[in-house]
Parts: sequence; C-alpha cells; structure tokens
Amino acid sequence: MKAGLSSAAAPAAPRARRWAAALLALPPAYAGLAVLLMLAAVMRPQLLSAMLLPLIARQAAPLGLAVIGQSLVMRGRSIDLSSGGVIVAVSYLLTSGYFPISDAVAMVACVALGLVVGVVNGALIVKARASAMIVTLATSMILTGCVVALSQQRAPGDAPEFLRELARLRLLGIPVPVLVWLAVLLPAALLLRGTVFGRYLDATGANPQAAALSGIPHLRVIFLGHVASALISVLCGFILVGFVGKGSITLGQDLALNSLAAAILGGVNFGSGRGGMAGPAVAAFMLTFLFNFLTSLGLGEPGRLMLQGAIIAAAALAYSLNRK
Amino acid sequence: MNSFRSGSSRYTVGLPLLLFALLALAAPSFLATQNLVNVSGQIAALLIVSLGQMVVALVAGIDLSVGSVMSLAGCLVATQADPLWGVTLALALGLCVGLVNGLGVAVAGIHPLVMTLSTMTFLQGLAYLLLPIPGGAVPPVLGALANGNLWGVPRPLLWCAACALAVYLLLHRTRLGLHIFAVGANARSAHLNGVRAVAVVVSAYVVCSLLAVVAGIYLAARVSSGDPAMGAAFGLESVTAVALGGIQLTGGVGSILGVVTGALSLGLITNGINLLGISPFLRGTLTGLLLLAAVCAQRRKVVGL
Amino acid sequence: MSLPSSGAEALVVARGISKRFGSTAALQDVNLSGHAGSIHALTGENGAGKSTLMKLLAGVHQPDAGELHIGGRPVHLRDPAAARAAGISTVFQELTVLPNLTVAENLLLGREPTRHGLVDRAAMLTDAANVLARIGIALDPQRPCGSLSIGEQQLVEIAKGVSADASVFIFDEPTAPLNRAEVDKLEQLLRALKAQGKLVFYISHRLDEIFRFCDTVTVLKDGRWVCTEPIEALTHDRLIALMVGRSLQALFPPRDGTAPGPAALEVRELTPLPGAANARLLLRRGEIVGMGGLEGQGQREIIRALAGALPPVSCDIVRHDREGRVQPFDPRHGVEQVVRHGVGLVPEDRKLEGLYLELPIADNIRLGLLRGLGLMRRAPRERGVIEQMAQQLQLRSRDLVQPVGDLSGGNQQKVMIGRWLAAGIDTLLVEQPTRGVDVGAKAEIYGLLRGFVQRGGAVLALSSDLLELIGLCDRILMVRAGRIVGDVPAEGATEEALLALALVDGAESKQPSALEVTA
Repeated sequence: MKAGLSSAAAPAAPRARRWAAALLALPPAYAGLAVLLMLAAVMRPQLLSAMLLPLIARQAAPLGLAVIGQSLVMRGRSIDLSSGGVIVAVSYLLTSGYFPISDAVAMVACVALGLVVGVVNGALIVKARASAMIVTLATSMILTGCVVALSQQRAPGDAPEFLRELARLRLLGIPVPVLVWLAVLLPAALLLRGTVFGRYLDATGANPQAAALSGIPHLRVIFLGHVASALISVLCGFILVGFVGKGSITLGQDLALNSLAAAILGGVNFGSGRGGMAGPAVAAFMLTFLFNFLTSLGLGEPGRLMLQGAIIAAAALAYSLNRK
Repeated sequence: MNSFRSGSSRYTVGLPLLLFALLALAAPSFLATQNLVNVSGQIAALLIVSLGQMVVALVAGIDLSVGSVMSLAGCLVATQADPLWGVTLALALGLCVGLVNGLGVAVAGIHPLVMTLSTMTFLQGLAYLLLPIPGGAVPPVLGALANGNLWGVPRPLLWCAACALAVYLLLHRTRLGLHIFAVGANARSAHLNGVRAVAVVVSAYVVCSLLAVVAGIYLAARVSSGDPAMGAAFGLESVTAVALGGIQLTGGVGSILGVVTGALSLGLITNGINLLGISPFLRGTLTGLLLLAAVCAQRRKVVGL
Repeated sequence: MSLPSSGAEALVVARGISKRFGSTAALQDVNLSGHAGSIHALTGENGAGKSTLMKLLAGVHQPDAGELHIGGRPVHLRDPAAARAAGISTVFQELTVLPNLTVAENLLLGREPTRHGLVDRAAMLTDAANVLARIGIALDPQRPCGSLSIGEQQLVEIAKGVSADASVFIFDEPTAPLNRAEVDKLEQLLRALKAQGKLVFYISHRLDEIFRFCDTVTVLKDGRWVCTEPIEALTHDRLIALMVGRSLQALFPPRDGTAPGPAALEVRELTPLPGAANARLLLRRGEIVGMGGLEGQGQREIIRALAGALPPVSCDIVRHDREGRVQPFDPRHGVEQVVRHGVGLVPEDRKLEGLYLELPIADNIRLGLLRGLGLMRRAPRERGVIEQMAQQLQLRSRDLVQPVGDLSGGNQQKVMIGRWLAAGIDTLLVEQPTRGVDVGAKAEIYGLLRGFVQRGGAVLALSSDLLELIGLCDRILMVRAGRIVGDVPAEGATEEALLALALVDGAESKQPSALEVTA
C-alpha cells in the first residue's frame, strides 16, 4: 500500500489476471447464460433462431420488469413477494367488466391499486416493522382471494384490445414489451447509479445501523422501494394480460419467486448488489431461456418447480459461503 | 406450565371463545354435533402442523415448507400399497427435509424464509411429479385410523392429543426443550452456557417437518386419496395460527395452549365462512388479513426481511 | 516488583500469553499465576488487556501463543464449554442469564438432572434451592430471570459457577450494576469462596473494591504484565502510579492558546434516561472538549442523547450555527434532524455502526456530500473533492475504490471523520476517537480534529484514555453516575487527578433491590 494516491499507478497485477478476476466477479447469470447458449446451440439450435430469440426476449419482459422492482427492495434488505396478487388483481380489473368503465380508466385504476398496495406494504414494513416476506405474501393472498371470490360471480373476460395489440407489435423489429422493459430498465439503472436515492439505498443495505446513525432517511428509501416495486408489478400485469389475451386467475403466479431467483443470480442480494441493473436483466433472460429450453426437452411443471427451488437454494448458499 | 414464557394472554384465549359465542348465535347449524365433529376434523391437521411451526418459531425461525411436506407425505401414502412402507417413506422424507432446512439455516446461515421457501417450491414440484392429479388410494388401514371414533372419542381429537402430548414432553420435560427456549431467547448467551445451538436449531426443524408429515398422512387418510396441492395453504395458515396464539416469531416465547387457541380461532373462522354463506374463496383473504394483524402486533427491531 | 511464583500450589498458571486482533496486539507475553484460596485482582486502565485475558481463560478466544496450566496440567480451552469442563466459571460483564428461563433452569443449564431420559424437575428445584441456600441468596428458584433486577441476575450468574463446582471463578466488573446491599452480599460470597479454597480472579479498576476484597493484585498495561503483588505491599497512590504513567509522546498537536469562540451547542438541561442525573455542558467553537470517566458511568448515554440516537427523557438545548443564529435543538426528533442542524456522531464501533465496509472508500466519503440533497437529485460524483479529502485525511490506501473494510483501523477511522468533514457539519460528537488505531494514525487523527476546531468547529470527544484527553482536549469533563463532576482545563491536568474524580465510592445513586441479605 502506498501513501497518498497515485492516479497513474502501475497496475499491481498483470493485466490478464485482473481481467480474469473481473470475470470471476461477474454474477452467475452471465456464466449461466453462456453455458446455456452453448448447450442450446448443440441440442436445440432452433431456439437460437432469429425468429424465436425475440419471442423469448418478449416472454422475458415481465420477469425482467419484476426483477427491477425486486432489486430495488432487496438492496435495502427487504423483499417483495406480492407481485402475484397484484397481477391477478390487475388482470381482473381490466377484463372482467365488473365496473362499467372504459379501458383507459381501468388502467388508471390499476395504477391506483398498485400505489395502494405499495404504500400498505411499505408502511407495514417500515412503521410496524413486520417481516417483509410475510407482509407481501399476505397482501398477495388477500388480493388473490378477493379476485377468486369475485370471479365466481363474474368471470374474467377478454383483454383490452389496446394491450393485446401492444403485446404483438414490434418497433424496428423489437417487440414492444421488450422496449417497455428497456424503458424502465435504463432509468432504473440511472436512478441507482446516479441519484442520491441510489446512494442512500446502497448505504441502507450495506449497513442499516450506520445509515440510521448518520442521518440517512433509510426508512423512506425502503418505503419508496416498495411503492416502486408494486407499480412495476402493475406494469407486468398489463403486459401479461396482453400476452394471454384474457384475464386469468393464475396469471403471473410464479413471477414473485422467479424474480427472487433472477435477482440473486444477477448478483443482487439482501443488502448488496454487484451486477448493477444489468446482471438481473441478463438473469431474467437466462431464466426464461432456461425454462423454454427445458420445456423443449420435455420438462413439465413439476420439473420447473423443482428447478426453481433448487436455484434459489443454490444461489443463497453460494452467497452465504462467499461471505464467510 | 410456566406462564411467563407461554405467550398466552386474555386476548389469545379470548379470541376463540368470542368466535365460538358469535358463531353459536349467528349460525343456527353451528352447534349441531355433526358440524362440531366436522370442525374438529378440519382443525386437527392445522393444529398438528402448527405445533411444528411453533417449535421452529421458538428458535426464532420459520418454516414455509410445511405445506409442501404435507402434500408430499399425503401423496406418498396414497401411492404406496403397503401402508407401513408408505408411512416410513414419509417419515424419512420429513427427517431429510428437516435436516436440510435446519442445516441451511444454522450452518450455512441462510435466512429461514429463503431456505424454507426454496424447499417448499422444490417439494411442491416433487409432489406433482409423484401424483400429477389428485388420486391414488390410501390403504384402508390408515383411513380407518383417521376417521370415526375410538372409545367414544373422535379419532381426529386423539391424533391432536397424541401430537400435543409429544410436543409437550419435548418442550417441558426434555433437555432439548429447555435448550430450545434458551437458544430462542439469546443464541449467544446460550452458547456461552455450553448449549450446542446448531444441534438445537436443526432438531427444531426436524421436529417441525415430522409433524407436517403426520398432518399430511392424517389429511390424506381422511379422504382416502392424495392431492399434490392439499397442503398449499397450510404454510401461511400455520404461521397465522402460531402468531394468533401469542407465540413470538422472534423466539423464546410460546406454548401449546397458544397453538390450540390460534388454530381454533382460524378453524372457527373458516367454519363460520362456510356456515354463513360467505364465499369460501375469501378464506385466503381472511387468513391474509389475520396474518397481517398478527405480525403487526409483534415487536421487532429489524426493518425488512 | 516480584515475579509470579510458579510454586506447587498455583492453581492457574499462564505463561507467555499473546493475542492479536487484526493489527492490534491485545496481549503480549503475559504471565499470570493464581493460587487456590485467593481473591486475585486483575487491574489496569481501559485497553490494558484485562478483558482479553479473561476471555482467554473463559474459552471465548484462544491465545496465539503461550500456554495455560490448570491444577498443574496443560489445557486448551477451545470453547466456553471446555472452560466449564476444566472447572472455570466466568461471570461476564454482559449477563448470560436467559430471561425466559427460571432461576433453577438457568443455574443448571447444560447440566440438567434427568430421570429415565426426561428432565427431573423436582431434582432441579432441590439442587437449585440447595445452591442458593449454600450461598445465602434468598431467591425463589422458580422465578423467571426476566423478572429479576440486574443485581439479582448477577447473583444467579455467580450461583451458576458455585453450582457447577468450579474451582476457578472469574468476575468481570461485577459491582457495576449493584447497589450497596448487593455489594455487601457479593463480599460475603467472595469470602465464602475463598474459605472453600477457590481461586477468584477479580477484574476491576475500582481501587476501593480491590483493597476491600482482594489479597493479590496483578497490573496490566498496554497488553503487558507490569507486576503481581500482595495487597499489603500496595497503597492507593502506588497502584495508580503502576496503572498509568506512560511518557507523553509528541502525539498531540499543540494547543494554540487562542480563546475559544462563541458557543456552538448549549446544553442547559439533558436527562438521557429516566432516573438519570441532569447533564449540563457547553460546547464552544475552536475548542475540543473531552469527556471521561469509568466505563458505564453515563457518558455514552449523554453523547448518544445529544446525537439523537437515544431520545432523551427531557432536554433544553440551544444551537448556535455558524452565522450566530440561535435555533432550538431537540434531539428527540431523531438523528436526521440533528444531522440537518450540523451535528454529527462518530460512533465507537466503526464496523458495526459507522462504516459501510463493503462499499468503496470514495462511496463512503461521498455519502457525506449528499447531506441536505433531495432524494431524486443527481448524486454529485465530485471525484476531485473526494481525492482532495483523501489527501487531507492522509489516507493510506491502494486507491479509492477499495472497500473500506480492507483498510486498517486508523484509516477506517479517518474515513468516518472524513465523511462528516465532507458533509460540512460544524459540531462533532466523537466516541473513542482512536480506539483500535495505531500510534501513527492517532497523531494524524488528533491533527484532523485540531484543524477542524481551528476552522471554527466544535468537538466533544468521549475517551477512556486519560492521556488522550489530557493531550488532545482543551477542557475535560469527568462523568460519574451520569453527573458531570468536574470541568477541568486540560493544560496542567494529571491522570491521577482525573482518576480521583472518576472513582466511584459506592453506588449511592442506585435503587435498592428486593433482595434480602441473609446472614
């Protein structure tokens, strides 16, 4: 270690070694995707075709969005598992025709709902200090229960034409859902890297006690993270409803767990985040590709669930071992 | 029983009594013998699995995988012709799951919510693999054990009593039980006193999974078939029952009385929904609301996860 | 000074014990020997190494070098359970009594009597009652320990060791939470243990207690053994002289002799906790005020109350900002408000409460620059400002993207202070400015603080190092039982005089407990 700073310091280790270290420090999603693409090239090359890849990217968009919200709360040592309930509620509001309102008004109502859910989650977690996982699971249960009960009286119907069109549309060859994903991803990355909020979020996650003692508004930061996550879930709902074409009470049920897995694979963990926003985005694509790949190999629902569970456990274990 | 670490109060005991009274007044068919027998049969599974959840809560943990363990255990006995083999397999499963959960939490330092969430998902997949749709056939021997009366007492009640007795002996009459309370209050102090905290925590998770297996076998035997989604709601419901019973999720405080009152409260609410004609699909909503109320009433220092 | 005897009757012999924590040498080549039937004091200033030595005997840590013999046989105490098995019972300063277990259950934790595999509750109660009676403590064995006073919990801790039939007892500052009656009870216990042929290590720096209870004294200083003497060979003054008296190195920047400036923080009334005394003090610009006293006398509570981290019961504080404007200042509104007023806390435990160890140095410092900015504002990168700050701090690091956790203690401390300097605050509340910091960095940190006040800042520095207070500060406040008992100019102050102010002469301010003193 030298005294003071040297801006034009000679590298401490040879260039190659530094490159290798940088690569190893990358979140597992990158390596996972590379391996996956190589396997697919050998076993199912059609998945890599110019026709299917954009479709897979489009399919990954909701997960990509969800993982942005999840990253925001996870970096603050919290978690949001309420996306399933929000999406189901959004799908019902948009398609059931329960209230005689236009599609546009229904979409605004969905945003309002997302706001309410985010505020309730955030308030309970920050003020009442209730466990984030339990709170968000409970709000998801409440919303799902209400929707299922209402569905008995009036089943969900067709999705608004506007959303169905958007799901199909492409601009310059890129599916619109992917553009929406990017439209949220880029500002989110900027928010994280460049704003006061982002710096405070990093600090709150790295050491909540130090953040509190140095006057950082850590509670507000966590609260806002939850509100943002809920609003993003609403967006996911819009896109999913557009995909499927009609309302469904099973829409987006695995999004919450997948976003947790994708976040961890993308380098984000409770209180820290090394991959920026790029890692989780790559992880979202990787997971979607993985599930498509395995489905083409004959994997069914049971296998998918087992894989999800194994991935979460493995990722959490890797993180834990890394820290010791 | 030592009341200072039981967590029970007039609120936790008063709630089921209040519900009982309300239902007796509001729903004419509530007090009918058949209904009461039904209710006790339904609460039994929740009670048994909540006993396990309490043991884990005592060491400041949580086990969300109990629902999947229940489903898988039920599917196991429904797909094995030999009842003894089916039960043995299911118990072995419980042991493995408990070990995995406990080691992940105590040794690898993984947060119990994340650890048990991952085992829950994995086991759910396994259940679907074993039995894709509800079906199978539970050997009649087991079915007979779960239904009807024995010496005039409904069998479900006997299952509950047996499990409650076992947990009572564990917590209040064994060294492990005392150590569980100690570790839950302050793991570091317990360690300084020579208690092996890791072994204690792992044992707690194993006990929880084994009780979930028992609950799963009971439920499957009751309807004589297996259902891979049978236990899905029991994860959060058992946490709700435990929290409603005054058991602190931060560890060290809890009792069997608490589990009984909590499970009763939840069971009576479900029964009430049925009898009063409220949509049964709102059960999840009500459980969610109760869960929120119950966890907000508990005090924590940490914010977030 | 006599060397420790390694006679045949020595029950515990430690030879050449050394222990490092990171870059700090807590103990260096320490020898100790204690005999059966003796109450052996282990004393020294804060940081002398008494606590570390005790933790080695208790099995909490393992020595890096040296050997330990108990009863003539060498032992390796791998963990607390091994220490207990070797017959050593420790009463830690942080009580390890579990609040949700009864007295009997706590006493026999880990050694519960069983019958047919199940815990024999009747035997447990009888055993516990016997032990309590033997020592003369009138406590109901079935009471939950959470309902006991701290003094009563302390006695349960002691009873644990007696019940385990230990041959060596270690007491770490046992009388801190006790009232007069409880201290008398403790004395009876100690004499009983001595009469039974036990060895008791009594760690304390309360000289009156050492002279009252103990028959032998071992003095440690800066991690090294100084001497071991029988109590008859010592006097108060001689003992203090043995404990202190390092040469005043040229560590401290000279006081410039200018008169202190206008007030920065005027604390007219401050009651940190219910039942605590009222603290009044004045912080002026251009002045470093020190706060000292024995551990646990309330200094920490005062500082944390001012910082907003421990909302006080009542307060009346006036803040004078740089322009001389007067503002009411209420730390009960929380830390964020206090920081907005320009007052910052530098906590004692920098790893747990002060720094973001995984984040780069630059990020840690940059957080200071964000003070007062709205959440959605662009975070300034200000590379130049941060590099300048690092130069000013004389930071020794490879670069600024290194995680702060990789730095040495001294550099970490500088980063913490640097963050507040970057934030532009003008009043610093510092807990232990140089804890775990090497000599070189100490001098630099003192320079930073002196420069800060010369530019118009105010500093309140809490320290358990009397030399540091004398060398660094302009004025020193000594705290005893939550009350400020002395406001001494640092110029010309002596350690002996300060220690005399700090010594507690019986805890008159404590409430008596419900515990009876049985004959």
